[in-house]
Amino acid sequence: MTDKYAYFIGCTTPFRVSNYDLSTRKVMDKLGIELVDMPDAGCCGLYYELINEKTYLAMAARVLSMAEDLKLDLMVLCNGCNGSLFRANKKLKENPELKGEVNEILAGIDRQFKGTIDVKHYVKVLWEDVGVDKIKEKVTKPINLKVAAHYGCHLMKPSEEIMFDNPKDPASLDELIEATGAESIDYYDKAQCCGGYVLAADKDIAYAMTGQKLQNVKKAGADAMVTVCPFCNVMYDANQKAVESAIGQELKIPVLHYPQLLGLAMGYEPKDLGLEQNRARVDPKMFG
Amino acid sequence: MDLREEILSEIDGKTLNYCFSCGMCTGGCPSARISDSRYNPRKILHRAVIEGKLEDDIWLCTNCYTCQERCPTKTKVADLLSLMRRIYVKEKGIPDFIKPLVENLEACGFTAQIGELENKRRERMGLPEVKHNTEIKKIIEKTGGGL
Repeated sequence: MTDKYAYFIGCTTPFRVSNYDLSTRKVMDKLGIELVDMPDAGCCGLYYELINEKTYLAMAARVLSMAEDLKLDLMVLCNGCNGSLFRANKKLKENPELKGEVNEILAGIDRQFKGTIDVKHYVKVLWEDVGVDKIKEKVTKPINLKVAAHYGCHLMKPSEEIMFDNPKDPASLDELIEATGAESIDYYDKAQCCGGYVLAADKDIAYAMTGQKLQNVKKAGADAMVTVCPFCNVMYDANQKAVESAIGQELKIPVLHYPQLLGLAMGYEPKDLGLEQNRARVDPKMFG
Repeated sequence: MDLREEILSEIDGKTLNYCFSCGMCTGGCPSARISDSRYNPRKILHRAVIEGKLEDDIWLCTNCYTCQERCPTKTKVADLLSLMRRIYVKEKGIPDFIKPLVENLEACGFTAQIGELENKRRERMGLPEVKHNTEIKKIIEKTGGGL
């Protein structure tokens, strides 16, 4: 098991949800996993997949080269970054000609992509490397709540490339939630996308999609929803008020980043995990 | 170049030939369901093959990959949609709703400008400062990815 990672926080986390960064650091510390910061890493290149492939691959390769210099695998917090960096890494490792072209671009900023490291979403680190049993050992204050898991899309898909868990019947996040003592509930359309990707292009479609899922979560009787991506989180939490207006229904669903839930179960105080910064009110008393 | 030829010249694009318009992609598509099929990936692929046309509806794909996971012929539907958007940009330029993101990337290397306010908050939380970079601007310039 690797216990040290290059730590990539991307754009949305520091801009919108630094409590995600904070709570991740706390739980990784408790699990003995060291995170090495990359403060000027910037963007993974995700949106350039839609604009210009060379720009996308070079931006992703730049971030990958920074982790290569540290001689560490790269841990990401965001499903979008996971999809973008994992796939660029795979594509460049498998295609020497493309790698050569990208390295010509990177030469202009004195960097080189070698293809020596792997990209891992922290859910993969927790589920595959640390393991549910070791996580359970660190739980001192079990959570007694019904939780609705939201996996998001680019944690597992496209599955033929990412090869993590099973997007048709996933187990990783449900098991990680149950490791905290909470019950991970089933609900209608659990696999549905948050809609965040089309927010800029068509707000109505995005909010309708977010709203449908929040309604399904509410109908299933969940006490809280848990996300593993900063952008999904922003859609369900920070944008919940706007979504309520769009669909004409009050929802008031607390939305936690997974490391916040795990952190509470590990005995951290809500403030240690930035819980007061969650936008849909989370009553700390609900955790007992 | 003809749209079909352009699509088929790319690695992901070659799977366009696998599509036999069964509609499984659209049946599972959340954007199609919510937009009452204003967004319809089956129609978009069909239109690309038969008419060689690209329209603005391609930007309503949420990139969730449900279509690609469901496709019985392993057509890379979602990747084709991304490829079509890159071809769209080549022909018509970057759409207005993406421009601010590109401007931010060129200005600071992040999709949003992470300024003093965010860094002060991070400092209060005991988190390290996030630093801007100019390398991404250089990559965008060198690859012709700018506005």
